[in-house]
Amino acid sequence: MFYRPDTFAAALRLKADHAAAIKPISGGTDLVVGLNRGQSLGVDVLDLTAAKDYRRIDHADGSLILSGGTTFAQLEQLDIACLARAAASVGGPQIRNRGTIAGNLATASPAGDGSVALLALDAEVELAHADRGTRWLRLIDYFEDYRQTALGDDELISHVRIPTPSALQASAWYKIGKRGAVNISLVCAAAARFLDGRICLAFGSVAPIPMRAVQTEKLLQGQPLTGALLHQAAQAASAEVKPIDDWRASADYRKAMCAVLARRVLEQLQTDDERQMP
Amino acid sequence: MNQPVRPDVPPSPTPYAAPPHGVVGQSCGRLDGATKTTGAIKYGADLFWGRAELFVKVVRSEHAHAEVKSIITSEARAVDQVMGVYTHNDMPGTNLQGLILRDHEVLTSGRVRYMGDAIALVVAESEATARLGADAVQVEYEPLPVIDSIESALAKDAYPLYKAGNIMGGKRIRKGNVDEALAGAAVVVTESFETQSVDHAFLDLEAGVACYQDDLLTIEAPGQWVHEERRLIALALGLEPEHIRIIQPATGGAFGGREDISIQIYLGLAALKHPGKTIAMRLDRAESVRARHKRHAMRIEYTLGAKSDGSLTAAKVTVYSDEGAYASTGPAVMRKAASHATGPYRVPNVSVDVYGVHTNNNPTGAMRGFGACQMAIAYEGMMDRLAIKLEMDRFDLRIKNLIQSGDEVTTGQHIQVATAVECAEAAMGKFREVNGGLLVQPDEAHLRRGFGMSVICFGLGYGDGFPDCARARVAFDDAGKAVVYTGGVDVGQGLINMVAQVAADELGLQLDNVRVVAADTALTDESGSSSATRQTYFTGNAVKLAAEEVKEELLDIAGAHLQLHPHEIELTSGFARAIHVPGKEIAIKELVAQGKKRGYKLDQQAQFKPGTLCEDFDTGQSPRSFVTYLFGAHVSQVLVDIETGEVKVERHIACHDVGKAINPQAVRGQITGGVAQGIGMALMEEVISKKGRILNGNFTDYILPTIKDVPHVECIVLENTDPGGPFGARGVGEPPLIGAVPAVLGAIQDATGTAPNILPCTPERVWRMLQDGTNA
Ligand SMILES: Cc1cc2nc3c(=O)[nH]c(=O)nc-3n(C[C@H](O)[C@H](O)[C@H](O)COP(=O)(O)OP(=O)(O)OC[C@H]3O[C@@H](n4cnc5c(N)ncnc54)[C@H](O)[C@@H]3O)c2cc1C
Repeated sequence: MFYRPDTFAAALRLKADHAAAIKPISGGTDLVVGLNRGQSLGVDVLDLTAAKDYRRIDHADGSLILSGGTTFAQLEQLDIACLARAAASVGGPQIRNRGTIAGNLATASPAGDGSVALLALDAEVELAHADRGTRWLRLIDYFEDYRQTALGDDELISHVRIPTPSALQASAWYKIGKRGAVNISLVCAAAARFLDGRICLAFGSVAPIPMRAVQTEKLLQGQPLTGALLHQAAQAASAEVKPIDDWRASADYRKAMCAVLARRVLEQLQTDDERQMP
Repeated sequence: MNQPVRPDVPPSPTPYAAPPHGVVGQSCGRLDGATKTTGAIKYGADLFWGRAELFVKVVRSEHAHAEVKSIITSEARAVDQVMGVYTHNDMPGTNLQGLILRDHEVLTSGRVRYMGDAIALVVAESEATARLGADAVQVEYEPLPVIDSIESALAKDAYPLYKAGNIMGGKRIRKGNVDEALAGAAVVVTESFETQSVDHAFLDLEAGVACYQDDLLTIEAPGQWVHEERRLIALALGLEPEHIRIIQPATGGAFGGREDISIQIYLGLAALKHPGKTIAMRLDRAESVRARHKRHAMRIEYTLGAKSDGSLTAAKVTVYSDEGAYASTGPAVMRKAASHATGPYRVPNVSVDVYGVHTNNNPTGAMRGFGACQMAIAYEGMMDRLAIKLEMDRFDLRIKNLIQSGDEVTTGQHIQVATAVECAEAAMGKFREVNGGLLVQPDEAHLRRGFGMSVICFGLGYGDGFPDCARARVAFDDAGKAVVYTGGVDVGQGLINMVAQVAADELGLQLDNVRVVAADTALTDESGSSSATRQTYFTGNAVKLAAEEVKEELLDIAGAHLQLHPHEIELTSGFARAIHVPGKEIAIKELVAQGKKRGYKLDQQAQFKPGTLCEDFDTGQSPRSFVTYLFGAHVSQVLVDIETGEVKVERHIACHDVGKAINPQAVRGQITGGVAQGIGMALMEEVISKKGRILNGNFTDYILPTIKDVPHVECIVLENTDPGGPFGARGVGEPPLIGAVPAVLGAIQDATGTAPNILPCTPERVWRMLQDGTNA
């Protein structure tokens, strides 16, 4: 069966009732890849794209609320450097027009560019259930293991909440791939500095999950981002990540790149004063 | 100084000398452009979806190397809608394929040698049931050791893949005395290079249909040489070739990847077993990558010696080439690699040894560049290294050593029109148009800008004594349109326009008064393959010769009508016109009608068969190994991130001397595409396999360049007339790729100070190279 409800509430009802026996589809840019390779879904399909307000971006007291169906093309337009640039680095125009933030978080690929940028923004995800209502989780608690998340069988991702540009001082993004577009991250990094002084740093493709470099972040809290600190942070990031060797890139390279990218994204967070400091 | 007084008299007219005066040299739109744009034209996949009654799936080996102990088909036969399951026992003919050695079983009888080997064929009423049937075929294997690299094939105790061992064959060149020359050289540079396995990656996947009816097997599937396919299919299936008709559907790219038989024999077998039914088969990307041949990965050891002024004195080259499981066109690729080992440079003492090495990787065969591509990476890499060692400018060193007209290449062949220097100067001139060629380094300390250059040559046609012939027929149909018949296939490169423009120009017609019948063995004569950059030169010539014959008839018809000698008449813009009497003319259409009544045939055939001479067995020397040589030069500018290893090509200039651009837009298209493919080979494309199993057999993981990776290619088209080509044309197909790769690599070296020698230069390889001082 192929369901295409026109409200999100109806979608939640179907998901709650069918649980694992129904598979949501947003942009289809992950799901259809499998179908094209001859894998069958084996379950009913729940198309979310007709649901009203599934593509909305709202402002609410100091936060931006993105509906799950927000596309990368929409995210590219946001005034939040790391998220906009991460979104702009996804696939090609077709993929960015279809692919959604909910799909990225649900797939939970370690190379999920949207997930990494949102992690650095310390975003929260809203998991919704028709009867139990909704729960907000910090993304750092959402990713559990390789392609495993806190998302329940009977839940849908309804929203993502991120701090508005006014709560953010700066954010930055860098992605290394083998070509200029339609590019799976060999390593990607995102960092954000909030007005309260907090700094978050996240990496993709260097661990089973999109990961926050919490040890490295500790070094950075409350400190001016001097050259010496950046150097230290780069080393710490490289030590903290847990990449594997695969034929796309070696663990050595990925570790080394975490140091390079940590320094690059953190440099972009520096204030002019800090830039002068050794 | 006193100049002799010369009266200002124009040269006497030679009315019968005919330079192109019509559509040759014009960027006429593609004759098949409209139907390709609207989708009306049929590609193989359109035929697959259109008419199929039965569908074919092939069972391929699960092992890269194994003895097949048993094939049990009973369960597969029992699958609903499965109409037949066939194995080697059902093959009516030799069951062999392979372009040069015919060493590859169509359906394996005993041993599988790579993971693409076919074991059984399932025919069913739908593609899905054919797949179910294929899954139900049970094959019992006894695995054998897998040889997955040149190194493991050459190891002392390596498992012998064939009775004769793992060396398939070789090729050598001996000229002068290399050891003596190297001993006496002021500088000697030694380096080894590793090139990778590359997939052709054409977008139009293998697909087609076949039907056996009234003692005729008709196969419509994309290839590159319909008449040779017919010969091979006939032998494999035990038919006489006249009982087979091959029709080439519209085709989206080939690059050498369609030279080996792909689905045709499977289609043919199924059609023979199910007469009267239309059989369809297609490969998806994964199966195409798994089954089909690749570009040879090569290990090239190169020693180059020079005098202190930079003149080259000696080159000693050893090449190991991964032939994969079967020969394919490997023997010819090896020969071409050898004859192009020193490229366009004058080197008096040369020793080249090329060895083909069997492995359990995919067979390797033709791909754009055909061995010459890998060698250009090596000889141009050596020129860059030598320039550093000599502290000489890279450009000056090249100019100093490039052959000039009359000089000889490695094989001893003297080149009549050698324009390597002109190409090099044109490309560098273009490069220097921006800021005098001085690069501005970026402010960021981790970014480095550099440029590289390449000069290359390429022997056109099969060469080396291999029979090479094109045939064509030009006739007027009853509607008064000229029809060009050619056996050559248009794989997207524009052969149809090429032959139409040549014929139209010769006959003084507008292009819309010409129609082309191509690549159908029932309607056209053998014209050789669309490969070796040969069709413009070969088939272009055959078409021109046939059109010249028809033209003579037209002029005779017109002569009687206009009361003029044929020499006093020209054919132009659809009219036969008196050259010296304005206004005296008759429409060619009219002439055709008159002529047919008066008993003229207006239907002529011609062949073009310039001989070449086989290279000597011991020395590799031949006075005429190739009919002509092409020259080109590239300059590439890159930006390298020395911390991450990322490389971006910022500018790319490509200059090629094509003799005459029959269709300049098509020539620029070929150059631009070749550069894109070259950038892919230099920076990202690579078939990665482990123990004979391909790990990246899809376009998510086999990384092709995108529009973001290829800058606007600055094309320079030189037209130094080739004495033997139609309207002076040579060709353009392969050289643009050959020139692009080394120019990009040279630019990386210029930017970073370290020269890459392993391809492709992925970010990680470049990073590692900068860590270690080498990317080995
Ligand atoms: C050519 C190509 C290039 C790509 N490039 C990139 C890239 O550069 N970077 C990158 O990060 N990704 C890339 N991707 C992957 C993909 O585009 C992203 O992961 C995208 O975010 C997936 O979103 P979607 O809406 O298309 O997901 P879908 O395919 O619709 O769904 C993906 C998964 O999420 C589940 N799901 C969808 N919506 C919900 C919901 N609301 N609640 C719960 N579960 C849900 C589905 O059931 C499915 O399991 C690429 C994919 C392709 C095909």
